Amino acid sequence: MSKQLTAFARADERWGLRNHVLILPLHSALSATARKIADESDGAVAVSHDWSGEVDGDFDRIIKTFSGFAANPNNYATVFITIGTPGELLIIDLAKKLGINKAEVLNVAELGSMSKIAGAGLKIANSLVKEAKAQSRISAPWSAIALGQECGGSDALSGITANPALGVASDRLVELGAASVLGETTEILGAEHLLAARAITPEIGAQIIETVARYERSINYEGIDMRGAQPSRGNIEGGLTTLEEKSLGAAKKAGSAQFSGVLEYADQVPKSGLYFMDTPGHDTEQLTGFAAGGINVVVFTTGRGTPTGSAIMPTIKLATNTTMASAIPDLIDLNAGTIADGIKTLAEVGGELFDLILAVANGQITKAERGLHHEFSLSRMYNTVIK
Amino acid sequence: MLRILMTDNRKILILNELDNIAVCLVNMEVGEVIRQDALNLTIQNRIPRGHKVATKAIAKDDGIIKYGERMGHATSDIKIGEHVHTHNVLGDRLSTEQVNMEQKN
Repeated sequence: MSKQLTAFARADERWGLRNHVLILPLHSALSATARKIADESDGAVAVSHDWSGEVDGDFDRIIKTFSGFAANPNNYATVFITIGTPGELLIIDLAKKLGINKAEVLNVAELGSMSKIAGAGLKIANSLVKEAKAQSRISAPWSAIALGQECGGSDALSGITANPALGVASDRLVELGAASVLGETTEILGAEHLLAARAITPEIGAQIIETVARYERSINYEGIDMRGAQPSRGNIEGGLTTLEEKSLGAAKKAGSAQFSGVLEYADQVPKSGLYFMDTPGHDTEQLTGFAAGGINVVVFTTGRGTPTGSAIMPTIKLATNTTMASAIPDLIDLNAGTIADGIKTLAEVGGELFDLILAVANGQITKAERGLHHEFSLSRMYNTVIK
Repeated sequence: MLRILMTDNRKILILNELDNIAVCLVNMEVGEVIRQDALNLTIQNRIPRGHKVATKAIAKDDGIIKYGERMGHATSDIKIGEHVHTHNVLGDRLSTEQVNMEQKN
């Protein structure tokens, strides 16, 4: 297999591993029209959501999520469908500032009926898809890869097989100059001191500790006992005993590289190095925040075969155990359970995963992409206020 | 990198030489003997696949070490070969309930 990375060149030395045309509705009521355009087009993708322009405590977070998602380098172009509220126009402006490759805007106020929007949208989408298909991949540096690390449906083998295998692949990518991002603040609670000790400066280490402490304060405020929720009942049945144990296993995804920084939810990911992003444990909210941060490929380790994917980021499913991997081969891209079966070593599976990440970066379609798992979720911190 | 040690019979995984527990890769029955190199244990309870077994004697309040790191402490003395789980281990992290109670006191 070729070890050469190829990708789609964007402005500002950004690189796309896919060349999507994204139809993005900026108001929940436009979701159906966006979906209709994508479904009838020659290969555009769309997401649906529930935001209706609320200006509340989450406004900045939501604006940041949409603009970053639109500007993700995996998008050749984004077609915004808008009713033209100030918040929606701000999203389009910010996406342009983030270096969006190509933006088209369909304004309901100007075009009038939904059928006109759908007709105009389909025409634009098809012409953009044609342009996107005409663009060729060119040789790209390793910094073209921004890898997101995710785990969902953890089991007793997660911390022994799939997570450390991802750690091996992540370390190798970081060493070559790629970016790699660990998320899920919930899942490092109890292991943050170990991650902080791997920060390149004491300040970054302190930031890791503070990010987890901030999260812990917020759940204390809500009166939630994390020790009751984590490890979950399923985790305990599987053999995980304490929160620290689960977190130690989850943190294995980040390998042993040093942490170059801490990112807030949906912050733009720098070109190279290992980072920690403060994301929620909810799989889809975390994936959406990763995409908004410019991450262009994800490895998702799973003990139960979570099907979740993204409309714009290829999401590689790495199974923790052979039983599940054999039961649902249509969801699993690679099985790390072979490590616990004594068939393969951690280094071997880590190497296979590295090769697979490269193949997927070069265009190989993941199971989640084939299954059209285009999940999208906004992450909210506050109650929604309707004004 | 994580140094994994698996017994030849593929029943037991030791994740780090500092660990006082190992992970069972198959369901273990009482009386089963695992003997390889320095490891010598007789299974004391039925232990389900994926659960932990003590590979060293652990005194009450001693740390439970997995991956070479502390993942909690023993709430009672644990013999070699005993099942190590929620019935004899507690995380070191205070629960929110405890934090709230301490703040009130």
